[in-house]
Amino acid sequence: MNKLTRIAVRRPRAVLGVMLAVTAALGYQFRHIVIDTDPENMLETDQPDRVFYDAVKADFAIRDLLVVGVVDEEGIFRPDALARIAALTDRILEIPGVRIEDVVSLRTTDDIARGARGVEIGPLLGEIPTDQASATAMLDRVLENPLLAEKLGSRDGTATAIYVPIESKDQSYQIGQQIQLLADEELAPEQSVHLAGLPVAEDTFGHEMFREMGVTAPLAGLVIFVLLWLLFGRVSLVVPTMVVAMLSIVWAMGTMIGLGFPVHIMSSMIPVFLMPIAVLDSVHLLSEFHDRYPETDDPELTIAASMRELYRPMLFTSLTTAVGFASLTLAPIPPVQVFGVFVAIGVLAAWILTITVIPASIMLVGRKRLRGLGEATAGRPPRWTVALSLLGERAFRRGPWIVASTVVLVVVAVAGVSRIVVNDNPVRWFKEGHPLRIADRVMNASFGGTYMAYLVVEADAPEALKAPEAMAYLDRLDQALEDDERVGRVTSIADVIRRGHQVLSDDGDGEGMPTTREAVGQYLFLIQTAGDPDELDNLIDYDARRANLWVQMRSGDNRDMQAVTDVAEAFAEVDEPPEGFTLRWSGLTYINKVWQELMVIGMLRAVLGSFLVVLVLMSFMFRSVRLGLVSMIPMSLAILVAYGVVGLVGKEYDMPIAVCSSLTLGLGIDFAIHFLQRFRDALAATGTLEAAVETLFGLPARAIARNALVVALGFLPLATSGLGPYVTVGVFFALLMLVSALATLVVLPALVGTAGRWMFSEYFQPA
Amino acid sequence: MILPARGAAVVFAAFALAVPVSGQKRPSGRDLVARSHEVFYSAASDMLARVEMQLISADGRTRDRELTMLRKDMGDGLQRYYMYFHRPADVRGTAFLVWAHPQADDERWVYMPALDLVRGIAARDSRASFVGSDFNYEDISGRDVDADEHTVLGEESVADRPAWKVESRPRGDAGYDRKIIWIDKVTALPLREEYYGVRNELYRVFTADEIRDVDSESGTVPTVVRRTMTNVKSGHRTEVTFIDIAYDAGLTDEVFTEDALRRPPRRWIR
Repeated sequence: MNKLTRIAVRRPRAVLGVMLAVTAALGYQFRHIVIDTDPENMLETDQPDRVFYDAVKADFAIRDLLVVGVVDEEGIFRPDALARIAALTDRILEIPGVRIEDVVSLRTTDDIARGARGVEIGPLLGEIPTDQASATAMLDRVLENPLLAEKLGSRDGTATAIYVPIESKDQSYQIGQQIQLLADEELAPEQSVHLAGLPVAEDTFGHEMFREMGVTAPLAGLVIFVLLWLLFGRVSLVVPTMVVAMLSIVWAMGTMIGLGFPVHIMSSMIPVFLMPIAVLDSVHLLSEFHDRYPETDDPELTIAASMRELYRPMLFTSLTTAVGFASLTLAPIPPVQVFGVFVAIGVLAAWILTITVIPASIMLVGRKRLRGLGEATAGRPPRWTVALSLLGERAFRRGPWIVASTVVLVVVAVAGVSRIVVNDNPVRWFKEGHPLRIADRVMNASFGGTYMAYLVVEADAPEALKAPEAMAYLDRLDQALEDDERVGRVTSIADVIRRGHQVLSDDGDGEGMPTTREAVGQYLFLIQTAGDPDELDNLIDYDARRANLWVQMRSGDNRDMQAVTDVAEAFAEVDEPPEGFTLRWSGLTYINKVWQELMVIGMLRAVLGSFLVVLVLMSFMFRSVRLGLVSMIPMSLAILVAYGVVGLVGKEYDMPIAVCSSLTLGLGIDFAIHFLQRFRDALAATGTLEAAVETLFGLPARAIARNALVVALGFLPLATSGLGPYVTVGVFFALLMLVSALATLVVLPALVGTAGRWMFSEYFQPA
Repeated sequence: MILPARGAAVVFAAFALAVPVSGQKRPSGRDLVARSHEVFYSAASDMLARVEMQLISADGRTRDRELTMLRKDMGDGLQRYYMYFHRPADVRGTAFLVWAHPQADDERWVYMPALDLVRGIAARDSRASFVGSDFNYEDISGRDVDADEHTVLGEESVADRPAWKVESRPRGDAGYDRKIIWIDKVTALPLREEYYGVRNELYRVFTADEIRDVDSESGTVPTVVRRTMTNVKSGHRTEVTFIDIAYDAGLTDEVFTEDALRRPPRRWIR
């Protein structure tokens, strides 16, 4: 028995006391908890795209936006409805944290049009119309102004939007809630309000994720508890397992929070990941203990015997799991690195807790209450254990067939993997039917898009953008982007100039662009002087060297963002920008695309890196490169099949799927380690492959099967979660456990049956 | 004692006699504000000034403008303004004409030389920004005294100048919910104004940064020659400096016409 377990067995109360004290100390750190739901933090602070986005936000006075849509099937442009919109807008302006001067709405945004008394500049809904005719005229003016159409009013007049910029993104959820309340007060019952935009989706996710942590994770715990109780029949044995899982989570999260790391969307998943891992080791130990107990009827002796069998595999499975997660530090995404490191710490904590808390608890339960444990199994083996040994035997005898079928499976899985589409969209982290999903659909159907990206055009000299050629180029670029179906609308300084020209000049029908630098300058000046000092700041900088195109997209899919950047690139190749001009993308939608790219590459690097480390570890553990390679087979199969399924069912490779890949390495190899380590022991003891297979399909196979069952079923409650990432993780866990258990229990014996003498050649001296 | 001449000055003189500025008795808020309006917005019968305007963003970026501003009082609170821009270079020659009516919408026109075009601009309200600065038209031409209710809050010095502190609350619709003005006891010029908007938050601050006596035919006119309006919310501010001020220059009515926009009066604008 190792030292730790020996102490735990001798002085169970003291050991449990120490463990609880450590837990209390780390649990106390939770008071420092800081939440971070900002997706920008997915990038390192000095990552070039993030630095550039910060500069763009500062230079063009850009704030994160909530898009509030009001829909009325009767029509928004009626005096009564408009009065309500005006009242709602006025009250939104009173919410602390709202940037009043940048709110875009019928009530606050200037329209420029030629009216009876000359050029009219001012908000459309400055005064509330008293009759239907002027309300209808207002809709006409919205639709007639290309700067406002599909921005402030939908084509059919049944919807209007209020764009609410806020001081900081982490207020999105709370301000969104307030707007909802105001809407309930100010709007008529038949009018519905929708909240859209990435900031509110991301912040809402942050809030709902805590609800999930509080509901789904304990629910998973409960299911695991019931399953373990059904398997082992003693609550007194199941409770310590659950305690180990809880304590591992507290240790990992407590250390993380204590060291000052915020709980990001990523690290909020640590408990969900740690629970099965922590349960895994305990179930191996319990399973062994349970089945061996009738041999001696003595807790201490049984613990000693179980630990002798399990110490090495448990240590190595924990190490490989820790390595798998630690490899996430190879991905250049800070929250992913933090996640990886602290799951790894949690895994090691779970290992220490398993080899101390479980034995100590068993000693406290005492011989009296353990009497009769495992006897049902020992006396009359339950049907499933019989089936299990039959499975092993068949697999062993029909080795070549199974190996061949596995090869076919691999081919199919590879085909599936090749069909994987890399894509993500935080709004789709919510299930269909969630208010945010409905808002997303409604708003993007009625308006020019709620997803913001920015294309910054930069010249090499001040005032360069006032050149008519430069303005005409911006205009063409704007048009080329707008022609793409994924883009709802583009707002640029060229639009403003075009509109100014249309309204002010006497040139024919007023279409086209001004042709002299002075004319461009004077339009700009007139519009600036007509509005607030910061009127055009969002579109052009102070010295007319840089312009910002607001690209509103109807979809926040990274794939669509990529396609739109491709459109701009293709355009710039055909229609080259003026000398010295450069184009560069930014904005939240673009930032999401950037970090996803980094994530995909980073995860690939992490998986490959940890694959190699685990291979080295395995070769070292088995003292055989050959067995090391064989041990990687079930895991590799699990990865291929799991991702093959992802590809075949058309599930996109998104953030949660990427994170799960780290899990495949960590957990996928566990069963193989147990199998091979103990197979070799059995082979040494029995001398023939057949006998070793038979031994293995007793105790060890039962532990593997129990584990696969507990983890797979235990995590299905996650699939009921309202949040996509939790569903993904739950389903993925189950799939991974089942495939790696099957691969271990079917493919490994088949391999032994096919090439056992080669694999374990040291046990078979050439005759 | 300030002695403005002609026109509205008669009315002003009546107030001046009735309400000693630094007397023991507390004057009424309305009287103080009415006097302040007279000296600040319509001193003398006309005014001509070369104005430098600097727009400064919160992070220190600047936009410079230079214009000649002509003002003529037409009686009954009516005023006419002519603004001719010298800088920035690409807008040189752009000119604005404003006929300000204290109780009705202003009439405004703009001339754009690049297009040789005069356009009327329908003024929706006097709260619109004055040529894109942090000042609005109301800050330039004043606001009807009786549009607000005025209450004297007390006496308080601003930069060592004793002043009356007056609160103005609009009776009707306005760009602010509440305004506090510090009125100089000596000159009756506003030394500082604070505008409070929705949520009762301070959002605009006016400061008179330099006051100088300007000689005119009818005597010296104390004038705010440097002023700043700061948008507290955005951190944006506008600094305005008057150089070469002349009062009672004898501006003719022809200066304030659409025709003059196209052909700037060279006698006044160089």
